[in-house]
Amino acid sequence: MKMKTRLTGALSAVAVLAVGVTPALAEGELNILTWEGYADTSFIAPFEAASGCKVSATYVGSNDDFAPKLAAGGGVFDLVSPAIDSTAPLIAAGFVQPIDTARLSRWSEVYEKFRSADGINSDGQVFGVPFSWGAISFMYLVDKFPTPPTSLAALWDPALAGHISLWDDKSAIYVAARLNGDMDIYNLTDDQLAAAQARLLEQKPLIRKYWSTAGELVDLYNSGEIWISNTWAGYQSGLLQAEGVDVKEFVPTENAEGWVDNWMIVANTPNEECAYKFLEMAISEEGQCGMSAITGYSASNPVAAKACMTPEQYVALHQDDPAYLDSLLLWENLGPRLNTYANAWNSVKSQ
Amino acid sequence: MTLPLRLRKVLVLSPPLIWVVLFMFVPYTILFVFSFWEQVYPTFAPAFQLGNYQTLISDPQYLRTLLRTIKIAGLVSLFSLLLAYPYAYFLVHKVRHPALRQTLYMAVVAPLWVSYLLRAYTWKTILGTEGILNSFLVSTGILSEPSSIFLYNQTSMIVTLTYVFIPFMVMPIYAALEKIPRNLLEASADLGMGRTATFVKVTLPLSMSGVVAGFTMTFCLAFGDFIAAYLVGGPDGMMISNVIATQFGASLNWPLGSALALVMLLIVLAIISVSDRFERLGKGTFA
Repeated sequence: MKMKTRLTGALSAVAVLAVGVTPALAEGELNILTWEGYADTSFIAPFEAASGCKVSATYVGSNDDFAPKLAAGGGVFDLVSPAIDSTAPLIAAGFVQPIDTARLSRWSEVYEKFRSADGINSDGQVFGVPFSWGAISFMYLVDKFPTPPTSLAALWDPALAGHISLWDDKSAIYVAARLNGDMDIYNLTDDQLAAAQARLLEQKPLIRKYWSTAGELVDLYNSGEIWISNTWAGYQSGLLQAEGVDVKEFVPTENAEGWVDNWMIVANTPNEECAYKFLEMAISEEGQCGMSAITGYSASNPVAAKACMTPEQYVALHQDDPAYLDSLLLWENLGPRLNTYANAWNSVKSQ
Repeated sequence: MTLPLRLRKVLVLSPPLIWVVLFMFVPYTILFVFSFWEQVYPTFAPAFQLGNYQTLISDPQYLRTLLRTIKIAGLVSLFSLLLAYPYAYFLVHKVRHPALRQTLYMAVVAPLWVSYLLRAYTWKTILGTEGILNSFLVSTGILSEPSSIFLYNQTSMIVTLTYVFIPFMVMPIYAALEKIPRNLLEASADLGMGRTATFVKVTLPLSMSGVVAGFTMTFCLAFGDFIAAYLVGGPDGMMISNVIATQFGASLNWPLGSALALVMLLIVLAIISVSDRFERLGKGTFA
């Protein structure tokens, strides 16, 4: 059964590749650098048919993957979708261009709080279109936990040695810092960073594998390798449940991080026309509910969400309560400290 | 109409020269220049300073990863040698039928035609907790429950890399053994040497060039590998190439990545020049 799933996966990967190399017959094309789930055919195919813009997606495994890909230049990508903590460096480096929100008929419907966020506003210009939001929650295999875990300490439990996984991302530092009781995770002092590093090193012998893509995390649960990890709330758990793996998400007592993803137009794209068509779709019903259905993330446009979600889904995704996001530790741009955090995480991995 | 000799020489030599300049010399020069730049938020900026090289020495994570990489690459070469030499010897000296010998030789070399990624991925399905190896061990009663020790550690990396790179050990050893004139072995026997003595005094020295070539190739390939760490390595499996990939990726520190890449290049060049001397030593012209 598992083998069959893998084979199907491999075959569909081949199919995707085959589709990917088919010459675009459409009027325009759009190369997007984004997260798994944000270019799903369920809503991208209708967009392609309606707009005449052929979409090709490349996936990232971390917010820190956006800037390097754009720094390599070459005009490869037209749209990117970083989270709110990673938008400022892209703007500062000149990798993205301002967005004319007047060209987006649904712009004013997006949560005001997201629209006015510092991360996408610079010099009176808007650089990002909020698309989705959610939490970095935690997840466990139900049948392995007679008592459901409630604390991050579960990820440091020696009894679970060899069955723990953590996202290969600087956010690992955030997780360890919170376990240490340092809740101001975006302004850690050097001492607090060192303490977080020590925590992660203490956890390392218990780690089966650090996961780097949604697909890899799903595979790790699916093949019986891991029992507990952090996750992009809604997404991987949905994929696993669809495959019959009983996993459950939880927000630990040490809280979880929150995020908002934003579409940004890469500077000097030759496909601006298609990019705007895509943005228009992204914050309308097709994009918002298309994305939510695939990823389980919350939508940025409550008007569109209300129109296309069931009332239960609308409530479950906290669409009526964006203040929920305030209860989470919303990702912040680390500025020049980013390198220090990244290096701290690299150092842990190198041990 | 014949072109002057000089022009013909230029025409023949210029494509490879242009190739070398464009794809070897220019990139390495860029890398060299980059290695003196510095990381400045949000990206990096031109500078001339040795900070990156200092970091490589002062921050223990780089030396640690480098030593681990050398250890893993060394073990991969060693295990490849231990497996490949007897196999090549068997092919050359014991398999009489040329067609069978060819088939057995191709059996080792043929996997090279299959994508490396696919072969490494296959090992994941073999070594996993619910993989083929565990299923076999549990069904035969050797294990009472699946073990997780086969995958996501340095051992699984060494197994995978050995499997992937062993053809590069078999090929040169096979070629070296095949070239040894049979009459030398006969002469050794005629002079009263036993099989072991003949092997130690005649066959082994004459095949050293193949061993050195194979060792160099497998070592350098394993030394630069980063896929195995990603696919079958565990939390302690970071290789030096993974660190370089991180510096050019998530860390967005191309200057440091360049410095690291140059250090790696120097190590590989050093290994190649040492192995070159070893090879000449085998031919009695050590210099």
